[in-house]
Amino acid sequence: MVNLTIDDKQVTAPKTATIYDAAKLNGIKIPILCHDKKLKPFGACRMCLVEVEQMKGRQIPACTTPVTEGMIIRTSTPDIVKARKMVLELLLLNHPLDCPVCDKSGDCDLQNLTYEYKVNSNRFKDEKFNHEIDYNNPLIERDMNRCVLCGKCARICDEIVSFGALTFIDRGIETKIGCEFDDALNCEFCGSCISVCPVGSLLARPFKHKARFWALTKHTSVCGYCGTGCNLTLGVKDNKVLTTIYDENQGFHKGQLCVRGRFGYQFINSTKRLTTPLVKKNNRLVEASWDEALEIVAARLKGGSDVAALATARLTNEELALFKKLLLEDVGTKNFDHAAGYAHAALTEGFARSFGTSASSATIPDIQKSDFLLVIKTDAYETHPVVGFEINMAVKNNGVKLSILSDKKGKLSKLPDAVTLVHRPGSEVAVLNAIAKIILDEKLADGSAEAIPGFAELGQALAAFDADTVATQSGLAAADIKKLAAGYAAADKGLILFPVGQAYAGHTADLASAAANLALLTGNYGKEGCGVLCLSEKNNSQGAVDMGFYAQDGGLNGLQILEACTNGGVKTLFIAGENPLTSYPDRNKVKAALEAVEFLVVSELFLTETAAMADVVLPVCSFAEKEGTFTSTDRRVQFFKPAIRKGAQIRTDFEVFSGLVKCLGGQAPASPAALFGEIAAVTPGYQGLSHVSLRKDGAFAAVSMTPAFVVPKAVAPVAAEQGKLALVIGSALYHSGTLSQYGEGPMHVCQEGYIEVSRSDAAAGKITENDLVTVSSASGSIQLKAKVSLRIPAGVAFAPYHFSNTPVTAIWAGQPVTMVTVSK
Amino acid sequence: MNPITPIINGMAITFKHMFLKPVTLQYPTERPKVAARFRGLHALNVSHDKAKCVACYLCPTVCPAKCITVEAGEDANHDKFATVYEIDMLRCIFCGYCVEACPVDAVRMTGEFELANYDRKDFIYSKERLLEKK
Repeated sequence: MVNLTIDDKQVTAPKTATIYDAAKLNGIKIPILCHDKKLKPFGACRMCLVEVEQMKGRQIPACTTPVTEGMIIRTSTPDIVKARKMVLELLLLNHPLDCPVCDKSGDCDLQNLTYEYKVNSNRFKDEKFNHEIDYNNPLIERDMNRCVLCGKCARICDEIVSFGALTFIDRGIETKIGCEFDDALNCEFCGSCISVCPVGSLLARPFKHKARFWALTKHTSVCGYCGTGCNLTLGVKDNKVLTTIYDENQGFHKGQLCVRGRFGYQFINSTKRLTTPLVKKNNRLVEASWDEALEIVAARLKGGSDVAALATARLTNEELALFKKLLLEDVGTKNFDHAAGYAHAALTEGFARSFGTSASSATIPDIQKSDFLLVIKTDAYETHPVVGFEINMAVKNNGVKLSILSDKKGKLSKLPDAVTLVHRPGSEVAVLNAIAKIILDEKLADGSAEAIPGFAELGQALAAFDADTVATQSGLAAADIKKLAAGYAAADKGLILFPVGQAYAGHTADLASAAANLALLTGNYGKEGCGVLCLSEKNNSQGAVDMGFYAQDGGLNGLQILEACTNGGVKTLFIAGENPLTSYPDRNKVKAALEAVEFLVVSELFLTETAAMADVVLPVCSFAEKEGTFTSTDRRVQFFKPAIRKGAQIRTDFEVFSGLVKCLGGQAPASPAALFGEIAAVTPGYQGLSHVSLRKDGAFAAVSMTPAFVVPKAVAPVAAEQGKLALVIGSALYHSGTLSQYGEGPMHVCQEGYIEVSRSDAAAGKITENDLVTVSSASGSIQLKAKVSLRIPAGVAFAPYHFSNTPVTAIWAGQPVTMVTVSK
Repeated sequence: MNPITPIINGMAITFKHMFLKPVTLQYPTERPKVAARFRGLHALNVSHDKAKCVACYLCPTVCPAKCITVEAGEDANHDKFATVYEIDMLRCIFCGYCVEACPVDAVRMTGEFELANYDRKDFIYSKERLLEKK
């Protein structure tokens, strides 16, 4: 810490701080346009000029000058105010002053400073810019006439998003922000540039002219898409969520969001939302009252073990706990599950046996504190983009080494010094086992490993996984595997990340155990910056596991439930928010099961294709209309309140389950808060948490580990077949689950499914970009648009699963790798 | 004072007024002269055959009676315009803040004061009705 004086006030600041940081830390405001907490100092706007006595009273920028011991700083002498006024005059010289039609008005840094410094005339005269305005982009509108060239958009796109879509182009007075060759913007559409723009140069097109900033009520909430657990500020007017608002102080991610979080909110106020309960009469769904619908459902729920339930992991902890209570105590069935069973197996089986707890041993903030990151599948960026930003920052700012083990390259492979080992699809467990064997053989293991149960057996069991054999099987070079092993073992703090989800059938308990073995062998667990982080797919996937909402004690899991529906074992199926026709493997089988089951209840936001098959459809609330807690993938429990009032005939899932408990003669909890009290008392790690204590910030649920070595079974790689491609299913960057289909933002960028093929396969099949190709597998055939991509190795194809209009579940029966033919 | 004197004085004034111009206006046959700065019914100014209003929402923001409803839209040239501009005359207190706030001189107040009507909904002046008065 250094001591300095700012405006006659004795203050201290860290050694690495700039004058601006030091002032901010001590509550002294220095005006600035080009600074953001997350970005490196730049010094573009010259608004933050201060006087430092030691520098002979010269005016120097506060944001780029580091503090030194004994500095005496003045932030607002008449001279400085005069200088700042002139800076503003010069900025306003070319600024169009179209505040009445600019959506930034009210939230505009330039406007606020102009007002604060009373710049009401201009001594200079110049022409305004006449740059062409980009109205064509569906999400980001660029008007460079308003730009003050602070460079924040270009810097955030480079430093955090690592995309580099925007940059300064041209020189001198002609300088502007633009894309390469001054072309149209074609990027990830995360909207980070919009969030930091101090003026109205970059604006969210979906929010264009919807409301003025001051008319919005700001509600903090938790994002309802992936498991990262980002915080959101929703801008609400007239009971409608109109936009998301940036707040640099919000959450671990400091307000940074991805395309779904920022632009995917429209589903909340969609006109397609269900508004009243529907009951099937004469084979048609007709409107009904809640009493009628609940009575019908309650009557059918009296079937005991004939009843089964599938829930989405987008429900709150309270709702999942109440649903489980309803099923176990009032209905009397153990047949319930979320995420098809396999999608949470990495936690509920893999980590449960390897770490003795069904939770990850690392948190998202650990990523930046680590030394060595091993990411399994580049898809980690697509499934959890904000975690991807953390990886970007770790690699670019902290010099963390990044190795990727994946069946295709991806965005993460482009990071500086990132090493990507592209293996044959489906061989990741074998490669991880080979790494474990190398660590054992070359005596790279940590001393603590020998004391862990299963150490001796592990050595013997891994005998088959010598580097050369695995290298031939997986299509890698043995030297690369050895290098990766040595790198991971040598790291002080090594962190392994892998995504799981309904699209990642190969990411099972064995993968989790194989990754866990590496962490246990090298002692990379239970410390800061170390561990294995399983990136669970949905916003409350970890919560669903913590609430125990999965098949246990002989209950049927998701896929078994559907099978039992087909063969008559399950007569009543309650689906809460899930759309298995699109999200569960093998569409034909799922369809047969849903047709075969005697009685199907679906509680949903929309009349999905699954809901359309139901006997009773119950309209329920989105995350913006209810209160509760979500547990993120790293077990951060976060409380959120409703941002808008729900529709008159819409109920929360909590109310639905409470109503059913009462119909069945049970005792329903008084409120989500009361139920959370019960949850906190019995859930490991949740002790001491309550809605009141979580109100301000979330809290991490503690994870206690009892490690053990488990021998993971590696599946034999799928043999390559002549003329066929190995299809792997995954997530697209713009979507999460099947919900984002109802968000206009994600749908503007990516409306339908596609298949990505390599250049060589495309050439062989004479396929060009956007061709409609027929993809056939053993379980079916479907037409998809082709994407020819450099990141896919020859012989491999990739398809995302989110879309009801082009469901890849028609050709995918749940295998990690599916052999398909792709023809025009 | 003689008790009769005030009565005579009073009668004198009454008698004098019989020959003066009457103060009472014989409305509606006679019309009052409305001052230039009178604050009556609003009108939306027009320029180049278009309403000048750019839907900046400053008038609904400043309006103390919350009687102005504006909704903005984007026209073919990507310019902002008011798709909805409504004033609820039952709520309006004719303070004129909307005129003062307007950055583009799009709204003014006319001398029109005859706002009585038979139906409540007729007091809600839509954009079309406000534009009519030129």
